[in-house]
Order: sequence, then C-alpha cells, then structure tokens
Amino acid sequence: MLTVPLPNTPSRDEMIDALLLKAEVEAFNEAYARALDEQRLMDWAELFTPDGFYTIISRENYDRKLPVGLIYCENRGMIRDRAFALEKTAMFAPRYLRHMIGSLKVAQEPDGTITAGANYAVFQVLFDRPDATIHQVGRYVDRFERTSEGLKLASRTCIYDSLLIDNALCIPV
Amino acid sequence: MAWRKVAAFEALRDGGVTGVEVDNTPIALFRMGDEVRATHGICTHALAFLKDGYVENGTIECPLHQGVFDIRTGQALCAPLTRDLQTFAAKVEGGAVYVDLKIDSTQPDSGAVAETASAAPAPAAPETADAPAQLPLVIAGAGQAAAAAIRAARAAGFAAPIHLVGAEPHLPYERPPLSKDALSETFDPASATCFSMQDAATLGVSLHLSTRVTGVDGAARRVTLSDGTALDYGALLIATGGAARRLGVPGADLPGVHHLRTHEDARAIAAALQGAKRVAVVGGGFIGLELASAARARGAEVVVLERESELMARLLPPALGAAFRTLATANGVDIRRDVAVEAIAARDGALVLATTQGEITADTVLVGVGLIPETGLAELAGCAVEGGIVVNAAGRTSVPGIWAAGDCALHHAPLNGRRGRLESWQNAEEQGAAAGRSIAGDETARADKAPWFWTDQFGLNIQMAGVPGLADQVAVSGPAAAEGALYRTLDDAGRVTAVVAFSDAAALRAGRAEIGTIFDLEAAGARLVAPGEPHDATSEEEDDMSADPAAQFAKTYVWPKEGLSIIPDWVYTDETIYRREVEKIFHGRTWNYVALECEIENPGDFIRSNVGPTPVVVARAEDGSINVFENRCAHRAAEFCRDLSGNAKEFVCPYHQWSYDLKGNLVGVPFRRGVDGKGGMPKDFKSADHGLKQLNVTTHRGVVFASYADDMEPLADYLGDEVLREFEATFDGRKLTLLGHYRHSLPGNWKLYHENLKDPYHATLLHTFLVTFGLLVAGNKSLMLADPTGRHGVMASAKSDAVVSEDKKKEMRAYKEGMTLEEPRFMDFIDEFDSPWSVTMATIWPNLIVQREMNTLGIRHIVPNGPNEFIMKWTMFGFEGDDAEMTRHRLRQGNLMGPAGFLGLEDNEAIKFVQDGMLGIPGGEHLVKLDPDTEAGTADTLISEAAIRAMYRHWRDVMGIA
Repeated sequence: MLTVPLPNTPSRDEMIDALLLKAEVEAFNEAYARALDEQRLMDWAELFTPDGFYTIISRENYDRKLPVGLIYCENRGMIRDRAFALEKTAMFAPRYLRHMIGSLKVAQEPDGTITAGANYAVFQVLFDRPDATIHQVGRYVDRFERTSEGLKLASRTCIYDSLLIDNALCIPV
Repeated sequence: MAWRKVAAFEALRDGGVTGVEVDNTPIALFRMGDEVRATHGICTHALAFLKDGYVENGTIECPLHQGVFDIRTGQALCAPLTRDLQTFAAKVEGGAVYVDLKIDSTQPDSGAVAETASAAPAPAAPETADAPAQLPLVIAGAGQAAAAAIRAARAAGFAAPIHLVGAEPHLPYERPPLSKDALSETFDPASATCFSMQDAATLGVSLHLSTRVTGVDGAARRVTLSDGTALDYGALLIATGGAARRLGVPGADLPGVHHLRTHEDARAIAAALQGAKRVAVVGGGFIGLELASAARARGAEVVVLERESELMARLLPPALGAAFRTLATANGVDIRRDVAVEAIAARDGALVLATTQGEITADTVLVGVGLIPETGLAELAGCAVEGGIVVNAAGRTSVPGIWAAGDCALHHAPLNGRRGRLESWQNAEEQGAAAGRSIAGDETARADKAPWFWTDQFGLNIQMAGVPGLADQVAVSGPAAAEGALYRTLDDAGRVTAVVAFSDAAALRAGRAEIGTIFDLEAAGARLVAPGEPHDATSEEEDDMSADPAAQFAKTYVWPKEGLSIIPDWVYTDETIYRREVEKIFHGRTWNYVALECEIENPGDFIRSNVGPTPVVVARAEDGSINVFENRCAHRAAEFCRDLSGNAKEFVCPYHQWSYDLKGNLVGVPFRRGVDGKGGMPKDFKSADHGLKQLNVTTHRGVVFASYADDMEPLADYLGDEVLREFEATFDGRKLTLLGHYRHSLPGNWKLYHENLKDPYHATLLHTFLVTFGLLVAGNKSLMLADPTGRHGVMASAKSDAVVSEDKKKEMRAYKEGMTLEEPRFMDFIDEFDSPWSVTMATIWPNLIVQREMNTLGIRHIVPNGPNEFIMKWTMFGFEGDDAEMTRHRLRQGNLMGPAGFLGLEDNEAIKFVQDGMLGIPGGEHLVKLDPDTEAGTADTLISEAAIRAMYRHWRDVMGIA
C-alpha cells in the first residue's frame, strides 16, 4: 500500500508550466553550484534575497528539532559577511570542490511561493591526496522568490546526512 | 590639510610606540625625544600592528616576522619586507600630538614637518673620528667579514663612503651552508646572503663586484682595481679570505673532481651528487665529513681518504678525531686513514683514484683538503704575513691604515701556544666587526671572544667552543660519538681547553664557562678516552634492550634534555604512547566528560558517548540515577547500542539477545539452561558476574563525568579552586537547554587541541578575522590560567569597557580599510555571567573543553582515535529562560565556532597542518619556548607557552616519562 497518495493527473498546460518552473530552478541550482565550485563566494551571496535565510544543519539536529547549524545566516548581510570573511580572512588549505545537485522537486504554492527540494553531494579534493572525498551529502529545503533579477533564494536549509565532518567545512554547500 | 589631535604628548613614552586611530586608519606614533613621528600602524608584510613592535635606533621592528622599517622614512630595511611603510606628518602643539593623513612626512613639501623630515641624514660622524676616517673605507673581499665590518663601522659612526670590492659576482654571503644545506637541490642561495642591495643602499656602500684589488700603495693610501679604477682610502680592510687548496696530483682538474669554496662550487657539487653512486672524499676534515654526510644522505656509497693516521689530526687530539670517525662509520661511511692520493684518471666513464692503498673507483671526487689564505694584497702592501696576515685584537695590520679580518687573518693571540687562523663563521663576524669599529675610531674594539665553531653532519649539530691542544687528554660524558655526547679536552694541568657537544646546545653553553677551569671528572660523571679506545657504545645498549618492557619503554621514550621547552614528535605520533595514554590517562585517575544532564532528562533516556576512545552508554535509570557503562556486550564484544540517543527500557544486544538494564547489569541470557537439558551455560554461571563494565559517575551543575577509577577525588578537588570558579561561572546554576550537536574528525593528535587552547599566542596570528574586524583590541584584559597540576587551563579575555560602551557599529570598525561586517550584531556580548571575562575556553583534562565565547556556549568532547586522529563532538547549549531572540543570538554567534566557524575551521586546519608536518618529516621536535620567565604555569602575558609546558609536566608524570 502506498503511504504517499499519487498526485492527480495534471493537465498538459499544468505539466508544461511545472516543467518550465523546474527548468528554471534547475538552472538556478546550476548557477549556484558553479559559483561555489569556482569559489566565487560574493556571487554566491547575491543568489539570496535581502532577508534570505541560509543554514547548514545536521540531519541529527533537524530530525530532533534542535536548531544548531554549522553555518547560520538570518539574512543576506550575514551571508555576505560569511563570504567576505572566507575570502579575505579565513586560513584553510587550498582545495577544489564539486557540488552535485539532483533529484529536484519543485512546487508552486497557491500564493505564488516556490518551494523546492533537491539532493546534493559535495566532493572535495585536497591537493596532496589522490582521491576526491564525499565531503557532504544531504538535501536542500528551499523557498524561492521571483525578483526583478530572476529567482532568488528566500531560504535554503541544507540538511546533511554525513554527520561526522571531515575536519572542517570551509566552503558553503 | 586636516590636522587631527590624536594623543597627549605626555602619554607617549620616549623611545616607544603607541597605536592610535585616525579616520579608521591605524597609526603608529613614535616619540623620539621632543619629536613625534607617525607611520601607518600595520606592517606592509603581514597583518600585524606596529604598536606591538620594538623600537630601536630610529627603526621599528614588526612583532610578527621581525621586519624593520625606518621610522622617519618608512623605508623597509630588511627581509621579509618588500614595501615601504606609509608615513604621515605629525606635530606637537600645546602638549598635544597632531597627525595629518593627507601629508606624507617624507614629501619635501609636507608643510609643518618639512624641516625635520629633510633633516634626516645618514648616520652622523662622531666628533672623535680622526681625519683619515673622513676618507673612504675600501674593503678588499666581499665576504662575511666585510659585511660585519661595514655594519660595525656604520654603527660606530663611520660616515665616509665605503667601497666594497669583491672578486665574486655575489653580494656577501655566509659560507657555512655551502657544505650543508646548499648541497640540496631546493636550497635558495639568497638565504645565505648576509648583505643585501638594500643594505648597500642604506649603509651607503658602493659595490665593485667581479672585481679585485690588484694594487696598493700603503704610503699614498691608494688602491687600484682590476677594472682600472683607482681609489684613495682612509682605511683599507683586507678581507680576502682564501681559496680552496687544490689537490696537487695529476688528474685533479678532471671533470667530476670538485673543490669547494664558492656558491658555484656548491651548485656543481649538488648537481654531481644528484645520481652519484660512489663518492670519494679526499680529506677527512670538517668540510670533508660534511660532504661525506651530504653524499650519504643522497644514498651514495662514500669513502673518505685521510692522509693522517686519524681524522682532523691537525686540529684535534686523536681521541676526539676518533669520535668523528666513529660517527661517520656508524653512518655507513668507509673511512681510510694513512692513505695518500697519487693520481686521478678517467676510465670507462668513472674516476679511478690511484692511492697508496690501491685503486678506488668513484663517479664523483670531492676534495676538502683545506684553505690557502689570500694574503697577496697584504704582502704587496708590506703587511707582516706569517701563514696569515698578522693583526692585533682590533684587526690592525703592521701597516698604518690597513686592517685585516676573516679567513685571511691570523688570530691576534696564540691559541694554546699556536699562532693560527680560525676558519669559522664566528671569527669572520668577530674580526670583521672589531676592524669596523676600530676603523670608525673606536679604540676599545677587540675580537677576543672564545672561539666557537659548528659542523652539521649525519643529522647531528656538533658545536665546539675553545681551542683544543693536539696533545690534550679527552674526557667524555654521555654516550660516545652519538647524539648527546659531550667531550672536553684537558691540558696537562687538567684545565678545560675546549668543549665539543654532539647535538646538545645547552650542554655547550654550560661548558663554555668551564674553559680554563680545572675539570673534575668524577663530579661531571665523565671518563677519559684513551686515543685507541673504540667509541662504539652500541654493544652495551643492545644487551639492555632485552630487559623487561617497562625498562625498555623508559629507555625508548626519553624526553629531550632541554626540558619542557622541547616536545618530541613521538608524543603525538607514536602508537605505543597512544595506547599508554588510554591506559594511564583516559582509563586512569581522571574525570572524563560524558554528557549533559539535559540530554538524559527522563528515566530511560540514553546517549552514546565515549571515555577516551572507549564507547560507553550514558543512561538514566528508573530511580533517576545516571549510569555510565561500556558499550560492549559481555558475551562477544558487540557494540550493541547503535542509536546516538533515545529512550529505552533495557538494552538488548542484537547478536544473541543478551539483555542489560539501564544500569548495565546483565538481566537475561537466552537459553541459559540449554534446550531439552542440553547445552546452555555452565551451572555456576552467575549473571551478576557478567554485567557491563560500569564506571564511576559524578555530576556538577548539569555536567556528567565518568571515571574508570573507583576512588576518584571529588570533581571540585579534581578541578581545583581556580578552574572550578571558571566552570561555575559558565554553569551558573541555570538549567541547561540543548541546542544541538556538531561532530567532526580531526586528522591530528588529541593533545594538540588542548595545546591550541593553552596557546594564546595563536589567537591574533591565526585568527585574522578577529583582528581584521577589530574584535581583539588593545586593552583587552586577558589571562592564561593553568591549574596547580598543569593539566587544566582557562584561556580568558574580556572586552574592554571602553569598547563595549561605544556605539556597536563603531565597535566593529575595520582595521583594514574597507572591511566591515554588514551584520555586526552577531558579535554583541550580552553580559549574562558573573565573571570579569567575556570569553573563556576551559581545557578540562583529559577530554573536555568548555567554550564560553561571549554568548555562544558549547561543550567540546574529545574522542581520540589513535595517535593521528580524534573526533570532536560538540554539544551546544543555552539556558532555560532564554527567549527566542536570545536563542537566535546564540545561534548567530555560533558562526564563530564549530567545524565551519570563522575561528573554528582555522583551528582545525592548523591542527591538521601540524600533524601533516610531523608525519611528512618525522623524528623532529616542537619548540615551546615562549615566555621563559614562567617555566610552567599561569602566564600574565599572551605571548606565552607556559601553560603548554605545565600540561606536559603533568603528562610526563602520569605517563612515567622521565
């Protein structure tokens, strides 16, 4: 027996609207991943709305409704501070990262808000190790807003499954 | 033009430096008598505040990397600086100091200060300088003695021009590295340079490189150079050094035969050693042995050919020469004595040496048979030369107006009855400086410090002070011809003539004082070495190694002689040490953090935790008691509890369903009595004997500790008064609420985390975030507390009142222009504690860090996992009664710490770097020498490692490491 009911069969127009919206969010996520992969953190910060919320929280905490996050930003100012500090002051070994985003699911609420979810995996390469390690896997829980500059994140909660972090998380996910 | 009042003149210490700020620009103010100078406050090399620097002779030395700037001009005077410092106009009016950022004080049109700025001249000539000193100084030879002479002459006020004439194309450089580091491919020749272009400019020196002094007229005081230039001099310093003695046999000029004196020689030898399989070294002196050592380090077979019957027979008594021979032999060098090379021939792509002991084949021949001093110029000038240029203690030769120094000059006095030259770094420095001072008119100049010399070979640094007589007796203490060996040479009256220490700088320093005194063999635990006696000490040691494990441990793990200021790598990387730490520390007499009570509030609540590496379960039983027991089934060792936390009525091992109650007692064993009367446990099996290993438990203010020791002292006694006070300042009686966890694994030794928080030195150096945004400001009160045992510590600092009372936004002012936080409120401190400190990091031995970083509060629980890795589990908490905004404030501030924290991630990376460094290049040691005034314990300065030393005093005690 199914525990989640199948959705009603949508109309063709509804399906096209949904596909277009999904393509738009997909394109957003690609730009998001690219900004992080290329470590353009100030560009990354601009993908959020001015009151955009961003946190990286362990699945352990999320499931137990404990609020502590690895990174906890209540607005774009804090996101910019994070980006600025990482670029200008933080000391960490150089590294390459790849953000893979997949299994996207998008929904538009009756009030126009776009909610989305996706799985992510972040590969990390340190220069003195042969292997790319899976630095973090998890999922995004997102809320988008449509602005004059296109879609922006009003909220992104990154819920990571890989509870035991390998040393440090230097670049956002 | 905007003069800004920045300070009261009286507030500035004469000869000191003070930091102020003008329009968000940090400024360093220097009071020099009645005058005040202003420069930018931040070093041009790295982010460091010059107000913390060191002022000397009109210069400011940066506290971080010892770069030196001229205060008046801002000129960068030495490496590592590459950019000059910005200077600003400053003036004193009506007792106040004014600065104008718009005016560069070094500009000629800089208004009010133009007069004083342009009056900044080269060092003035002293009034006592006699007339000839006004004429130029010409220095023949551009080596280390020349560089020392220039510096000393200028420092003593010599104001006339200086001409430096050198045959090599290089600026003066030091030669000791040539037979050591310079033989490695990665050596940077610049690192040996002891006189830079910058120095030449600053000290007013005209360079004539690739040029020789070819003629001299001592009466007319004139020299001619190889390029035809004629120079009149007031003083001539001959520092021409010498040339490598060539091997005077047929074939000595063949390719593949190398002599060593210059950079180019060293490069050629380095290239030859690359891929050399068989190396013959001709000459068993210090240079020969260093070359042999370098060749061995590259894996080559090495034979050393020495003409005399013992190594260094013309420098050292035979018994001491034998010590060097023993060391070389132990490192795989084939030493042949009483052998002379008669010819070298190239045959079949190899070099064949015909010797008095037969033929030797090699692909590279390195010759180290001594130095011929370059005295031709001195002889031309009519100076007395007796195997070296004769000089007095001030470096004057027999001809007025001519001085000599360095390898080409004799020592001014006979040494143990012998007149000789000292071919050493120290002698070049000493004689050069004495000559320089004397040339500047300082009649007190003398080069008469006790001779000192060092050689690096076969991984040891061997230093010698004094001059041994060839017939002296030799006494040794410590091991023979190995690290830690200490030799003394004794004249026939029993007085010490020289001290030779094998990799023991402290012993050498102490030994210097013995020179000239009668030596007491017995009191020093030394013995005399007969010339023919074998130095091999290894045979005794091998017998002892079969002794019992405890003796073997004590023998293997010996703390360095220097004491607490050195920590050997094996403390952090050795598996045996790690296993002993688990036994003696985590399972020993310690209270280990395991949980917060708020994680297990109700009966049946449990969490998985660890005591050291050992997995335990912390559970609250029906009677409300807190119980800690090993997470290892008494039957087949399964780690049965797998959930991070939860609520249970009992614990059942999934493998064979053995069940335990919430206190760890064994309750049920399936089929204990077998089936149908067959099988089952023995009849005498008692469940009570097979419960889980239960630990001693105590709690304080909501924090749960466990111990393997049943008779532990109360926690309050364990912590001691001072640490308990800080613990209770954080855990102030309010009920804790759980905010969440982080977990990460760190590729480093667990003790490095303690050390990081007993090391206030790193805070402003590693964490530039704090400095960049002005979060660590001058006047912050701070403390690095160590408890009387040394195992616990508290690093504490307080935001200064002045800063707190200021407008919050302003408080976040950037020290680097243009760097401000958009959301500075996350750095607010809400003073909720009864404590003078806004930040405390308590390191509670062995596995707990209590973080009170303003309002973000957390437990850091260390779980070691072998010597090279540990897991850190963070438990962040708040207090009952926190409103939603207070909780959010704690969460916002949490961005500072944790695996992704602005500060936290840097600590993690630094610890990884340290472990990587030890694993990459093992067998080394760490320096923890800061703040020698406090040997170990609480420090009243942040530039201190006294708390780390205190921890290791305790650690060694517990570990039984003498």
